[in-house]
Amino acid sequence: MTAATTLDPDSLNATADWQRRAMWIVVPLALVGLQLIFAGTRLPEHLDETFSDPLDDFAGWAQQNRSSNWLFTVIFRPLTSLVSTGLETIEETLLWVPWFVIPIAIFLYIARTRAWKSAIAASLAIIYPGLVGLWEVTIETLALMGMAIVLSVLIGVPIGVLAAFRRGFDTAIRPVLDAMQTIPAPVYFVPMVMFFGIGPVPATLATVIYALPPVVRLTTLGIRGVAQQSVEASTMFGATRWQTLRKVQIPMALPTIMAGVTQTIMMALGIVVLATLLGAGGLGQSVMDTLSQRRTGRGVATGLAVVAIAAVLDRLGRAVVGQDRATAPSRRTVLICVGGVIGLIIFGRSANYIAFPEMWETRAFDPIDDGVKWARDNLRWFTRAFNDTVVSWYYVPVRDYLTDSVAWPVIIASAAALGAWLKGWRLALLNVCAMGSILLIGMWELSIDTFVQVVAAVVLSILLAIPVGVAAGRHRRVEAALSPVLDALQTIPSLVYIIPAVTLFTIGVVPGLIASILYAIVPGVRLAALGIKQVPTESVEASQMFGATPRQTMFGVRIPLAARTIMAGVNQVIMLVLAMVIISGLVGGGGLGFETISAVKNSEVGLGFEVGFAIVMMAIVLDRSSQAIADRVGAPEVAAH
Amino acid sequence: MIGEAISSPCLSARGIWKIFGNRPRRALEMADTGASRAEVREATGCTIGARDVSFDALHGETFVIMGLSGSGKSTLLRCVARLSPLSRGSVILEGEDLTAMTEAELRSVRRAKLSMVFQHFGLFWHRRVIDNVAYGLEVQGVDRKTRHSKAEEMLDLVGLEGCGGSYPHQLSGGMQQRVGLARALVVEPTVLFFDEPFSALDPLIRRDMQDELLRIQTGIGGTVIFVTHDFDEAIKLGDRIAVMKDGEFDQVGTAAELIMNPATEYVEEFVKGVPRVKVLRVGDVLTELDGPAPPQRVPAGESLETVLPLLVANTDDIAVLDDHGTAVGRIDRAAVTRLIQPQP
Repeated sequence: MTAATTLDPDSLNATADWQRRAMWIVVPLALVGLQLIFAGTRLPEHLDETFSDPLDDFAGWAQQNRSSNWLFTVIFRPLTSLVSTGLETIEETLLWVPWFVIPIAIFLYIARTRAWKSAIAASLAIIYPGLVGLWEVTIETLALMGMAIVLSVLIGVPIGVLAAFRRGFDTAIRPVLDAMQTIPAPVYFVPMVMFFGIGPVPATLATVIYALPPVVRLTTLGIRGVAQQSVEASTMFGATRWQTLRKVQIPMALPTIMAGVTQTIMMALGIVVLATLLGAGGLGQSVMDTLSQRRTGRGVATGLAVVAIAAVLDRLGRAVVGQDRATAPSRRTVLICVGGVIGLIIFGRSANYIAFPEMWETRAFDPIDDGVKWARDNLRWFTRAFNDTVVSWYYVPVRDYLTDSVAWPVIIASAAALGAWLKGWRLALLNVCAMGSILLIGMWELSIDTFVQVVAAVVLSILLAIPVGVAAGRHRRVEAALSPVLDALQTIPSLVYIIPAVTLFTIGVVPGLIASILYAIVPGVRLAALGIKQVPTESVEASQMFGATPRQTMFGVRIPLAARTIMAGVNQVIMLVLAMVIISGLVGGGGLGFETISAVKNSEVGLGFEVGFAIVMMAIVLDRSSQAIADRVGAPEVAAH
Repeated sequence: MIGEAISSPCLSARGIWKIFGNRPRRALEMADTGASRAEVREATGCTIGARDVSFDALHGETFVIMGLSGSGKSTLLRCVARLSPLSRGSVILEGEDLTAMTEAELRSVRRAKLSMVFQHFGLFWHRRVIDNVAYGLEVQGVDRKTRHSKAEEMLDLVGLEGCGGSYPHQLSGGMQQRVGLARALVVEPTVLFFDEPFSALDPLIRRDMQDELLRIQTGIGGTVIFVTHDFDEAIKLGDRIAVMKDGEFDQVGTAAELIMNPATEYVEEFVKGVPRVKVLRVGDVLTELDGPAPPQRVPAGESLETVLPLLVANTDDIAVLDDHGTAVGRIDRAAVTRLIQPQP
């Protein structure tokens, strides 16, 4: 027995209670004091040049020594030419092959696994871009994506396997993976430009970095998830580690690994538009062009082409592994099919049916433009009012209040107090360090600007997502109706739905806000629905047996029991909104997003680093804080499965 | 019961200790000075999974380790099978110390001599049944044709003719464990480990599998180390049974020894529910002959249940014969009476 436990527990509680109450007085007083002391003083941006100057110097050095230093001649240039040769070969081959062979080959490859529906869907999907006159740019993007995905798998799977076996390695790479997923892609566009210049190669490599984490994570998860007894069985038969890995663990983990690959494909397609900042060309460039022309219809047409590629790659990915030997086609069938394809190629080449015949153009979608124009002209009473309300009643005053009126130590101290209250001193310290470093490198005001926008987007997303998600969780039909919409929102490049927003609300904060909401709302809805669905039927029935009204059951049982999952959704909403900060910067959102884009465009390495750092710090603070909130509201883990 | 050539030790466990937790060394030191499981846990946070366990499994013997969940039986088996590292002690297989081997040496011993059947089957769900069974041969580098023909033979033996082309998930639970059994047998192991192999099956299938195992074991005759939580299963399969509790053996002996002389209250608890007359044999209730052998004679291997009518029918002594037909004693009526009395 230790001394503490012999104390009267009541008196201990009383002390803690008293302390807690005192905090409610001390903390506000301290905040007021800080405000009084620091109001009107200058921001201590002592490290403004500490990091950016050397980086800029290094970039300058790199620029000058591109053709002489070994770093470039031995590493980066050969790598560049290797990747670019690969890209060109894929692209040229795909364009050399008569167009109609591609859908047929895709069909046959998927049909091999007897997945007829997905074979038909994929072969139709690949025809679509041709119909709207986007064949060549689509092939260009397909080559880049294919290359990026293959590289991601080649790099990601071994890393994931290693992490599954070496705990230390796993702990070491976990934060790196977290960072890779949190850092908005354009942030590492900057060093890419520095080392590889502009063009498809840095775009491919940036895509690889961005898309890598899911493969790694799910490979690790898959390998660890293989039934221990199966591994032990293999060991008991005297298999070497390599034999066990190759014959048991990897094959058994394959479904999970492929789920990772699918996610990687989606991630890769997610930055297809942003990659144009690096000169990726292809569909992304087309989307960018339609944005500057404000042609919603063409944007939609192009966006759908991206969706089509996603569908094709996804189904091809599944077909790589989805083959039971029992259902495998016979060798003869395979030979006949391969022969047929070769025959078609020869026929197409000799008859000169190579390029996709001209059908429609993206013009086919122009009627959508008319709709948007009509909305712009006739809904002005609403759009204008909405725009003005958001900008002059929320965005500008709150931003100015936080930057000009509230002294910086007050904000940091508030964040620290919040962290301490939510989770304890560790979170408080984290918040102070993160925000302090943003301040010191001179990103304070830009960050406040972005923060105000992020908060608005998050709050609106959640207000929309939770009721919709709850409804979807309760009613199967609502869910069925929502599912394709949610899928579309996640696969269509977000720039596409920024185009009508820009047309309706003009350049500024609002289009970015709307695009962020549309993009980020998806996991919010999905996880709210999931949470509601996972509430044990028994708990609901228990509530009903006591005569609770549906409303009482909803707010007293369903929502509290689903709170943990719903909060996980909120956390994801926050992270996605942050990812959209950059996109918002493209359409006049200002803040960190705009700075990032100008850093990439002008190759300002130092600035790029600072902005990226600020975004990551903000992401960490918001992520940890929202998780802490989730832990507080969440009911204890339900043990009924 | 099964064994024919029970003789020299095949597999010996010597002073096996297994400590779970972060401070195994401290826990061992404490336990050496006589600290109890609870005391060690209190002081170090470590759990003693196995505490100084030793046993010899003889050639051809089925040695059953019986215990309830948490008794440490699976822990012990995994240590002996070298699937998890032991904290102290050694495992000797036919004179070779498995605990002193390098990984490569252990691997070659495993390929040549060991095999295991798992509670949840541990099948390779991505491989066809035939390739599951052939796995042990495959890792040894046996060519495809040979290993498939051997695997087919094994499938026939366990009653899975023609299932080789299926995937395990297409089979029922009982059939899946037959795959597990075939997979273990195909490598002709010297020692076969069973980790509660039938506990995931429903009772009827479990009984079938036990009979199947007895049948196969009679034909093949390797040494079996069998872990179970089911006392009836232990009695049915085991030549000798070790009753395990809190990481230690309470008692080791044949089913009859346990039933007639339970060493601890714990063992007695298990023995209570056993239908003794069914399990015990005439040889178990033997007493010395006091004079010439009476005319009434029964073989020692006869179940007590079958001679009960004889005992009731008259009061004459009944002689017991051994395998060679010589009288070795008579049935002890007093002992039988004690046995069939209701338990307190």
